[in-house]
Amino acid sequence: MMSNDTPLTMPDAAAEMVRRRPLVLHGRGYRWITEHISGITERRAPKWWWFATVSSGLLALLAAAMFTYLVATGVGVWGLNQPVSWAWDITNFVFWIGIGHAGTLISAILFLTRQKWRTSINRSAEAMTLFAVMCAGLFPAFHVGRVWMVWFLAPVPTPMGVWQNFRSPLLWDVFAVSTYFTVSIIFWYTGLVPDLATLRDRAKTRLRKMFFGIFALGWRGSNRQWRHYEKAYLVLAGISTPLVLSVHSVVSFDFAVSILPSWHTTIFPPYFVAGAIFGGFAMVLTLLLPARAIFGLHDLITPKHIDNMCKIILLTGSIVGYAYTMEFFIAWYSGNPFERFAFYNRATGPYQWAFLGMISCNVLAPQFFWFKRCRRNLWVIYGVVMCVNAGMWFERFVIIVGGLHRDFLPSSWGYFKPTWVDVCTFAGTIGFFVFLFLIFIRFLPMITMFEVKAILPEANPHHGHGPGGREDRR
Amino acid sequence: MNPSFLHPPADATGKRYWRSLEETADTPEFREWLEREFPEGASELEMDGMSRRNFLRVMSASLALAGIGLSGCRRPEAHLVPYTKTPEWLVPGRNLRYATFMPRRRGGMPLHVTTYNGRPTKIEGNPLHPCSGGATDTFAQASVLELYDPERSRAYVKNGAASSEAAFFAEIERLRADWAADRGRTLAFLVDGTDSPTRERLRRLLQAKYPEAVWCVEEPLSPGHDVAACEIAYGPGLIPAFQFDKAAVVLSLDCDFLGNEDEGGLAAVRAFTGGRKVEKPGDKMNRLYAVESRYTLTGGMADHRLRMPANQIGAVASALVREISGFASGGKPPVESGASPAWIREAARDLWDHRRRALVVAGLLQPPVVHVLAAMLNEVLGNTGNTVKFIRRERAPAPGLAQLAARIREGKVGTLFILGGNPAYNAPADLGWEKLQGSVKTVIRWGLHEDETSARSAWHVPAAHYLEAWGDGLARDGSLLCAQPMILPLWGGLSEIELLARIAGLPRPEGPEAVRTTFRERAGKGSDAFAFDQAWERFVHDGFLGESAAAFVARRADLRRCADFVAAHPMPAAGEGIELVFAPDASADDGRCLNNAWLQEVPDPVTKLTWENAALVSPATARALGLSSRNVKGVLNSDVVRIALGGRFVEAPVLVAPGHANHSITLPLGYGRWKVGKVGEGSGFNAWALRDGTAGFALGARVERTGRVAKLAVTQEHGAMEGRALVREAPLKIFEEDPECVDKMTDEAHMPPLRSAYEHPKMDAPHQWAMSIDLNRCTGCNACVIACQSENNIPIVGKDQVAKGREMHWIRLDRYYAGSEDDPALLAQPVTCMQCENAPCETVCPVNATVHSEEGLNVMAYNRCVGTRYCSNNCPYKVRRFNFFDYNRRQLDSLYLGPLGSKGVAETVKMQKNPNVTVRMRGVMEKCTFCVQRLEEAKIDQKVKAGASPDVLVPTDSVKTACQQVCPAQAIVFGNQADPKSEVARVKKFPHDYGMLAYLNVRPRVTYLAKLRNPNPRMPGADQVGMSSLAEAHGHGPSASPAAGPPQAPHPAEAGRRP
Repeated sequence: MMSNDTPLTMPDAAAEMVRRRPLVLHGRGYRWITEHISGITERRAPKWWWFATVSSGLLALLAAAMFTYLVATGVGVWGLNQPVSWAWDITNFVFWIGIGHAGTLISAILFLTRQKWRTSINRSAEAMTLFAVMCAGLFPAFHVGRVWMVWFLAPVPTPMGVWQNFRSPLLWDVFAVSTYFTVSIIFWYTGLVPDLATLRDRAKTRLRKMFFGIFALGWRGSNRQWRHYEKAYLVLAGISTPLVLSVHSVVSFDFAVSILPSWHTTIFPPYFVAGAIFGGFAMVLTLLLPARAIFGLHDLITPKHIDNMCKIILLTGSIVGYAYTMEFFIAWYSGNPFERFAFYNRATGPYQWAFLGMISCNVLAPQFFWFKRCRRNLWVIYGVVMCVNAGMWFERFVIIVGGLHRDFLPSSWGYFKPTWVDVCTFAGTIGFFVFLFLIFIRFLPMITMFEVKAILPEANPHHGHGPGGREDRR
Repeated sequence: MNPSFLHPPADATGKRYWRSLEETADTPEFREWLEREFPEGASELEMDGMSRRNFLRVMSASLALAGIGLSGCRRPEAHLVPYTKTPEWLVPGRNLRYATFMPRRRGGMPLHVTTYNGRPTKIEGNPLHPCSGGATDTFAQASVLELYDPERSRAYVKNGAASSEAAFFAEIERLRADWAADRGRTLAFLVDGTDSPTRERLRRLLQAKYPEAVWCVEEPLSPGHDVAACEIAYGPGLIPAFQFDKAAVVLSLDCDFLGNEDEGGLAAVRAFTGGRKVEKPGDKMNRLYAVESRYTLTGGMADHRLRMPANQIGAVASALVREISGFASGGKPPVESGASPAWIREAARDLWDHRRRALVVAGLLQPPVVHVLAAMLNEVLGNTGNTVKFIRRERAPAPGLAQLAARIREGKVGTLFILGGNPAYNAPADLGWEKLQGSVKTVIRWGLHEDETSARSAWHVPAAHYLEAWGDGLARDGSLLCAQPMILPLWGGLSEIELLARIAGLPRPEGPEAVRTTFRERAGKGSDAFAFDQAWERFVHDGFLGESAAAFVARRADLRRCADFVAAHPMPAAGEGIELVFAPDASADDGRCLNNAWLQEVPDPVTKLTWENAALVSPATARALGLSSRNVKGVLNSDVVRIALGGRFVEAPVLVAPGHANHSITLPLGYGRWKVGKVGEGSGFNAWALRDGTAGFALGARVERTGRVAKLAVTQEHGAMEGRALVREAPLKIFEEDPECVDKMTDEAHMPPLRSAYEHPKMDAPHQWAMSIDLNRCTGCNACVIACQSENNIPIVGKDQVAKGREMHWIRLDRYYAGSEDDPALLAQPVTCMQCENAPCETVCPVNATVHSEEGLNVMAYNRCVGTRYCSNNCPYKVRRFNFFDYNRRQLDSLYLGPLGSKGVAETVKMQKNPNVTVRMRGVMEKCTFCVQRLEEAKIDQKVKAGASPDVLVPTDSVKTACQQVCPAQAIVFGNQADPKSEVARVKKFPHDYGMLAYLNVRPRVTYLAKLRNPNPRMPGADQVGMSSLAEAHGHGPSASPAAGPPQAPHPAEAGRRP
């Protein structure tokens, strides 16, 4: 955890230019961080929290009711048809799984690349990842016609002697997503252990003592434990990193491996990964901006953090925009009339509104982030990230429904309209997601206390000499 | 012991079908046995402390229930009981086929019926009889569902209240005394137009007993215009037999002989499409001219189609007569008709050039004068005796419904028997039949359903279905047909013969007795009892009497009398206002099929409309009237109009029909019934309400918008091919110049050669199943769709689900329009699972539920399917069907209630299911598997036959899929392509064989033979005929949108030419 080694001999003016902004403002120290972050979980829950948790919990129950209805009645309660056999179900799946990318990206890749600013946001981003993956997993599990037979997808030996079809991208999905979820939850929990120990040590009630006592796994903060911890975390980050890239690539194979015009494209894996990071960061900002305001975390989640995330959104949004354009170009360039029609139909067909929504939300809206003023204005940022959230949903809808509803034979062309069950199911999973996040911020430290402490000047072994040291902060 | 063909005596509540003798005894033990999986005491075996005594008791009870004890009993009379005494040829689980026929208004349709353990499940045509040749139509296919319709009438009803058979016949006894007193003066019968010698014999019997009784025949869809014209032209007692196989050029004057008009029956379809069999360049092909108002399947097959309001078709015929008479006499008379002079001139010249090998047919909707004109044309062209032959059909002259109505009005009818038909619903509107029927003292109605007519009758007598009764009839060619029961009447109905016998005072005929008596008159003369028995057995076995077809009668038309008749009946001038055409509907017939769910769900062959009818108007007329039917986000929103004619009106949704004649509205008949079962309830509007007399069309209708919009359920939203080489079409001439032209159509021709990066599993099993569909022969009639539904237990889903795009048919008929919206060409294409060798659906299924068999089938393991639907997404042909709900288990109106909805699918409907095909549950994907159950059965049979010998190959072309078997056009060829002798292997080598979307390298096992058209090069617009694929291939053909065609002048005078 070394800070940047800028040459000490640099002239003052030059040093001023390259000096990094501090990651924790107002000279907050260890004690403040511990008190502030732990305090969120220790104080009485504010009224708004109760209100928000109960209402999002009720919304989550709506999803439960919808899934119950679906299983009891049949997939027909959704608006699916021939030819649109997948619609909101898989759209929502890809939407949520995409959101689940930012967390691991922040935790693992930014960890390996030593991006210290990640420390303020990685805990909540990872939690968000887990919750999003939980929401995502619901859809493929429940979208099948016979949910009670879903275990056929698991490679367990059966007397039937029928094995899974390892050529099917859906099966790859099962492995990719379950691996990702497992690794993410271990990674997240490992990172939680030192902070759980802090909470344990501060616990006053018996219940908290028990709970944190168990989950802190006997953490004492000894040198030996830290060494093990650092190794384990590094290894897990190493395991997670390829997963960040693989999961959404595999999800994109669901489409890319098929033969449908507009699905069968090699650009999908990188384009999906970029889109996932894009959407994931938007969701991180969506959750953290209110949390920052409500819990007074301005000193920890600084304008620099927000600025960095905006830049990532701008970058990945541009990659996504490039991919959209390239799809059209290749469709034209291929000379394949089916492919050409699919994209012509995407832009002008009955789902034009979704296409326009996708373009304006995903390509046009992030362009504001070219301007520093926009990256500083929280209202603009919030507007843009909400656009991106919607736009990423539109993107999946455009790809899935837009690709399916008019494919090879015009005789089979159709149109998909969602039913109230589609809408309520999706709304319910949003409720589930928010509910889980509210539970998380109430009971667990939403900012990694020990890692933030590690980037404070106090943690700098140079003891105030050199950039990033105590003098710099003044 | 003589078998008795009756149920054991029924109890007072009326007859029920039953499963065993115990059930008929209805003991409490039996009731309990029904409830429990194991008989009483069986579970005690599990208990401790089972005593020896108990054990013996249980075992003896089980033995008794198992029927072992019963077989020892002898009863004084023998009933048809299930298998206490098994017929020796019956193997449980194997099917048995019996010959019978379906009574049809223009001659019975000979059938073979497949039964499993006494349950008829599937109808096939009788391959031995030339009127079927193994084929059937949609109505015959669907009639097995009618048999099991749970809403069929089950009880004798008197004035709306349940009564009994005994009470009914007591009433008949009383009435008989009245008739005897007045020699039957007040007695009248109204029967349908089917021919049955036994019925005729009983009629004579009745007539002898009650000489003044009247016997009326009414068939609303077959109003006898053709018969009247035939009498004028050729003399009485004849019906024409058109020889389509001998015709090189056919002109149809509004005659849908390939569709549902039933003009020549299936033999005509086979004969005509046989003339379109092209295997290689140089093969001859017939040419079809069609003049019609609405797009029919015949028009779709035509090489030159002229759209004309129905009332102008007579003028076209008359112009043709004058033109051809000009050729005949050497002069050149002027021509006046709505059609372009060039069209008339060139068509006439073509007919004249092919004289003696041409054929002119007129449609049933057309008035007698058009039929007379057709007869004149046939005469002048020398077709009579060559392509037009006659058979004698003696029929006692019978008054029709109008005469009966007059009699009722005069108060001369006291007792009226209505046997078949449904006059309260479909009598001519001007008769006011409902009121008239109410004024008759006693109306006795015999029918399959309690319908509109029953509601106004004193008595309703439940009818036995034709599959439940003995009977006889005449085929279209005059041969004698035999009907035998496949099952005892499910609800104790009487057959028409039984009822008439009872009315005549005879005892109820024992089984085939009445039919056998009639048969004796015909075949038993001079032969001894043994020979007669043999002849009878053969008659029943074959389903028809061999060599009983009527001989052709030579006859020439009396041109003078024809000309006089034509002169006396001037053609209507191109009239004011809008014309209404009352057309038969492909799904409802005259209304009798409205409660048949298979027929209601099968889309109309042309409009693709399901579950109801709609007023068809041309695009130009729709624009002129400000009407539209628009596909808005997957739903067809259609303007509802009020159509008024002569003081009456109906309200109907509009369906804009490309290719329809301008200034004309087609109203399909048979919908809008008000007393019908759940299936037909509330569907469509009643076009009969506007129809006066027997006219096929009427002029002077007024059309107003109501401002309301109706939602219609159509199965195909998009009619253009978008420049894709799906249905490939070429003119014969181009095909002859370049036989490979079919492979050069559209952009697919420019695709690089297919190469695969992977090794594909070798398909080296001895059987390699494959199919070829000849688009040049397929008319698009839907018979295959219903045959498949019947064979493969395909559920129906209801209008709401069809509108959502969830219909379940495994084979469908795609209908494309090519060319301008006003006058496009119509292309039909059956699409079933292509059984791709390199199937995209198989690779994406995560659980291996759909895999490839070594024989080239893409098979489904329903029990393995979890329902991800990925296979459907990846299927380029979209032939996979998903069970979104428990369609086989739930009521269609409570699908969305899930477990809260009622389960009830009627027990009888379950009896129709093919036991060799899994009934799929919800959440499962299903699809065509080339009738794998038939293939396996054939293979097993062959293996049994082969024994130890290596001869396990199924004999060449011996196994047929359901769609292939039913096809009257013989468009579908199926077989083992690894067998070089097989037809399919031969057909696939034709130069115009192509695979749809083959560029995807999916290697479809189903391939198509391209459609060929045979235009007359001198006809106006001939250079456009058959060019839809070729024109689009080069990018300057008609564009994607049908609306992009050149605008059409609205007046009928200019209408009808191809652009």
